[in-house]
Amino acid sequence: MIDLDKETLAKMIDHTELSAHSGEKKIANLCSEARSFGFYTVCINGAYTRYAKEKLEGSGVLVCTVVGFPLGAGTSSAKAYEAREAVQNGAAEIDMVINVGALRDKKLDLVRDDIRAVVDASQPALVKVILETCFLTDEEIVSGCKLSVEAGAKFVKTSTGFGAFGAFPDHVRLMRQTVGPDIGVKASGGIRNFKDAWRLIQAGASRLGVSASVAIVEGLSLFKFAPAAWLEEEIPCHICPSRFANLDKQPKAVYAYYKKKCLACPHLEKFNKFYE
Amino acid sequence: MNGWMGKIVKINLDSMKQETVPISAEMRRQYLGGRGLGVKLYTELCHAQTDPFAADNALIFMTGPLTGTVLTSGRYQVVSRSPLTGTICDSSSGGSFGAVLKSAGLDGLVIRDRADHPVYLYVHDGEIEVRDASGLWGLNTQQTQKAVQEQTSAKTSVACIGPAGENRVLFAAIMNDKDRAAGRGGMGAVMGAKNLKAVAASGSQLVAISDPEGYKTLNTRIDRIVDKNPVTGKSLQVLGTSVLVNIINAHGMFPTENFRCGVFNDAEGISGEKIAETLLQRQSACYKCPIGCGRATKTRNKQGEGPEYETVWAFGAHLGISDLTAITEANYACNELGLDTITMGSTIGCAMELCETGAWKEKMRWGDAGKLLGWVEDTAYRRGIGAELALGSKRLAAKYGRPELAMQVKGMEIPAYDPRGAQGMALSYATSNRGGCHMRAYMISPEILGHPVFLDRFSTAGKAEIVALFQDISALVDSTVLCRFLQFAMGISTFTDMLRVVTGLDFSDNELMKIGRRVYTLERIFNNQAGFSRRDDTLPPRFFQEEFQTGSSRHRVVRLAEMLDNYYSVRGWDKDGVPLPQTLAELGL
Repeated sequence: MIDLDKETLAKMIDHTELSAHSGEKKIANLCSEARSFGFYTVCINGAYTRYAKEKLEGSGVLVCTVVGFPLGAGTSSAKAYEAREAVQNGAAEIDMVINVGALRDKKLDLVRDDIRAVVDASQPALVKVILETCFLTDEEIVSGCKLSVEAGAKFVKTSTGFGAFGAFPDHVRLMRQTVGPDIGVKASGGIRNFKDAWRLIQAGASRLGVSASVAIVEGLSLFKFAPAAWLEEEIPCHICPSRFANLDKQPKAVYAYYKKKCLACPHLEKFNKFYE
Repeated sequence: MNGWMGKIVKINLDSMKQETVPISAEMRRQYLGGRGLGVKLYTELCHAQTDPFAADNALIFMTGPLTGTVLTSGRYQVVSRSPLTGTICDSSSGGSFGAVLKSAGLDGLVIRDRADHPVYLYVHDGEIEVRDASGLWGLNTQQTQKAVQEQTSAKTSVACIGPAGENRVLFAAIMNDKDRAAGRGGMGAVMGAKNLKAVAASGSQLVAISDPEGYKTLNTRIDRIVDKNPVTGKSLQVLGTSVLVNIINAHGMFPTENFRCGVFNDAEGISGEKIAETLLQRQSACYKCPIGCGRATKTRNKQGEGPEYETVWAFGAHLGISDLTAITEANYACNELGLDTITMGSTIGCAMELCETGAWKEKMRWGDAGKLLGWVEDTAYRRGIGAELALGSKRLAAKYGRPELAMQVKGMEIPAYDPRGAQGMALSYATSNRGGCHMRAYMISPEILGHPVFLDRFSTAGKAEIVALFQDISALVDSTVLCRFLQFAMGISTFTDMLRVVTGLDFSDNELMKIGRRVYTLERIFNNQAGFSRRDDTLPPRFFQEEFQTGSSRHRVVRLAEMLDNYYSVRGWDKDGVPLPQTLAELGL
């Protein structure tokens, strides 16, 4: 049973275009689609904030601008400046990337202060913190969520879409359990169709960052018919981050962490033929 | 009235009597137009024993409430009983004929009886003129269209038959707007049996739109939906439908030499990419279509439209032919002569295997590109072996004692996707109301292309539900009447929105799906009455018994039995494939 209507789904979507090669035409199309489908925001790079704000005038669609994107490794003051400028240009929401390296180094105060600097600079805009879960262990994800809430962020978010992998239900579930019901969880990265989106919503996502927004909304009205056939129970390993662990793209320790998790997983024997 | 023009005319070709067919608001709401309303009218006028070539058979040209309005709305549907299959049949064609027929003032045209000499119909300003076509009889489709335009107006859109239709070749097509075809099921032969050479239309009436502002906004949205989808916004535009050659071949389900192999070694040489490199002149598009999947092409000798994927396969891999020029010129010939390329190619492939096994003592050999054009022409004129090829593969194979070598369902040849590589496609073929057709439920979309999501192509789980859903959606879209490629990009609700802004009628998504189901079930009832049942919902034995030894679909067979009972149950049919009384009651049938 899919108890979701098209309008509600659209309001859960940050319609996203963050490619380096996107120019004004793509941003204009993005805004046109957001206006037409009623997406909650358009999520874009800072250079287009003012342009998008003008394109969306009177539509009710907000502008969400990324900050410290996609690495999150700049200084806090640079991130704060970027956020402040974005808000001045019309951003109603800021998606900042956490200092991933500092989090992995367990420099928790630095991480918290980094987030707080952006939260303070973004007022009155709402701040979402991108954890980039593909570079983190579960413990680090929990830590990142707690620090985000402590620093005043209103959302935690899984991914930039530029990392080793995107959003997985396991991570979203963990984030939701950590932040509780009052803080938003945004799933982003690799969400290509309604089935992907539905899995993440079921896991606790309250916002989706997607480029395939149109396909997802169009997909809903198909999936409402024969939902059991579309959403049949699938092999859990197919949607597990451990399966997508990649030594070329992840730190060695994180890769090893996910592979170790896989070996201890109760699904291994039944489903994951790779290890047979 | 918004959306519909409010006029369907019935014309009797013997008496030339014309009358308006009354269509109630309720009937429009239940069947919309196009395939749906066409099938409804056909089943009211004819019965399941009506001979497709008899004078009292009806041939129905239909548009829908969205024809001539939103993007991709130039299409029309032709409905009759198929001389090839004996099932009820609708055949769809693009171009602009549908939109022009509406601008001439008609939603549809019901043609009965037989003229005592060749005629064509000229529809303009809501009136129908019956004109002498004696001078056109024998012309090919290109010549016919040109001649009719010279006799009427350069802006006239013409749907006509060529020599194949005149000679009642069982898979003769109706051609319009140069090279667009209502190809499948032999609707051209039905037209020929009526001594009807062409239906021409011109006019300037506009379709009334209920919500002009909403319509404008919606068209922008549809344009964005189409553009964002990788199939409609990229693949089909750049490479046309032949983009599928390499994809389907890589999946080991590109039927080769009459479905004896799933991999064609020369696939690259007949691919969409190769067409773009060698033959392509420009992209072409139907009325108000932002996709533009058409290919205007040129060989050293000729120029024309296509070939499309199914044709590349039918005259290529299926026959072991890798000469792209020969394939393309055979395609041009089919367009000019008015032949369905799928059945033509498939029948030649069947004949080649019959010859190879010695069942038929002719010299038709795999890969013989040099004779291809001659076989096509002979078929259209029923000359020599062409007289036998004109029967289609089922009758041909049966005649020579090897019925199992015809790759057909209910008499219609299976197209370019081997069902061993996609179980849902197998069920779709087997249960199709018009026979071996990929367009009733295009399961390649989820099983190979991943739209709207990837489904495991070798699994049978859930396929009954999805096939039934896709069949219903297809029946719905064919009743609106829009291009089915929109299905790659759109869900039901956008069709609901389109109908609302154009007609002013508020349909729910559920109500629209019910229309699709109603149409599909009505077709099934007709087929049941014509003698079709569970035993016909099957595939040639090759697909159950013979495994490929190479390619990524090797060691697979079709597992239809795992899906069929569930499919009937989903549909509300009994175990013999007959709709149950409660199903009929629920659908108002």
